[in-house]
Amino acid sequence: MSNKIKNYLSVAFFAFFGGAFRAALNTNYGFYGTFWGNIIGCFLLAFLTYFFIEFKDFYEWLTVGLGTGFIGAFTTFSTFTLDTLKQLQAGQTINALIYFFTSIVFGFLFAELGSKIGTKLGKTIIGME
Amino acid sequence: MNLLLAGIGAMIGASLRYGITNYGKKHWEKFKQKYNNLPFPTLFINLSGAFLLGLIFGIGSNVFFYALVGTGVMGGYTTFSTLNTELLALYRDKNYRALLWYMLTSYLGGLILVYVGFWIGSLY
Repeated sequence: MSNKIKNYLSVAFFAFFGGAFRAALNTNYGFYGTFWGNIIGCFLLAFLTYFFIEFKDFYEWLTVGLGTGFIGAFTTFSTFTLDTLKQLQAGQTINALIYFFTSIVFGFLFAELGSKIGTKLGKTIIGME
Repeated sequence: MNLLLAGIGAMIGASLRYGITNYGKKHWEKFKQKYNNLPFPTLFINLSGAFLLGLIFGIGSNVFFYALVGTGVMGGYTTFSTLNTELLALYRDKNYRALLWYMLTSYLGGLILVYVGFWIGSLY
């Protein structure tokens, strides 16, 4: 199997679980489920990205599957904007603004945190070998 | 049932996103360099996805269709984590101009486009 096909299959396979997991959070916790899913996803993707930078020849299909497939499908931008719009249309302007801006700020901060821990752990493991 | 539909939809959405990102890396490189290394593939994906989800929501559909196409395909197609990891990379590069533009076009543009999509959809 060519690497290209392998990567696409891996992305689709892992995306199934990311999407279903997000839908479960959304069903049970509504806006909060999407919010925390997005924030945790930012942490995890930055963690994985910076962790795998330390391991240059790691299996591409696996990093692409986990990062682009699972975490990419687990987080969502379109639902985030629609959730903000729904709150605005319901007249909950303050809630909408809090949701919108905390997502933006926390998303960035958790990505920063994830990248720091990812780099550190990657370097530690490489150092032990 | 809804979780299964969302999962299946996400497989399609994420594959599309991966395809567009790969295409962008190959063909939009010059364009990207011209505009301060702004990550155009993800920007395009998130903005078009916000518009389409607004449209689907505006038209109004049954629960199963929304789970498959709205939550599944559009949710899997757009991504919040890649956006923030790319914002972080621009920050690390001290490319503050592109950082600001990427934030503004994504967040403000996404909010405007989801509304435009919703508005067009509710006409039907």
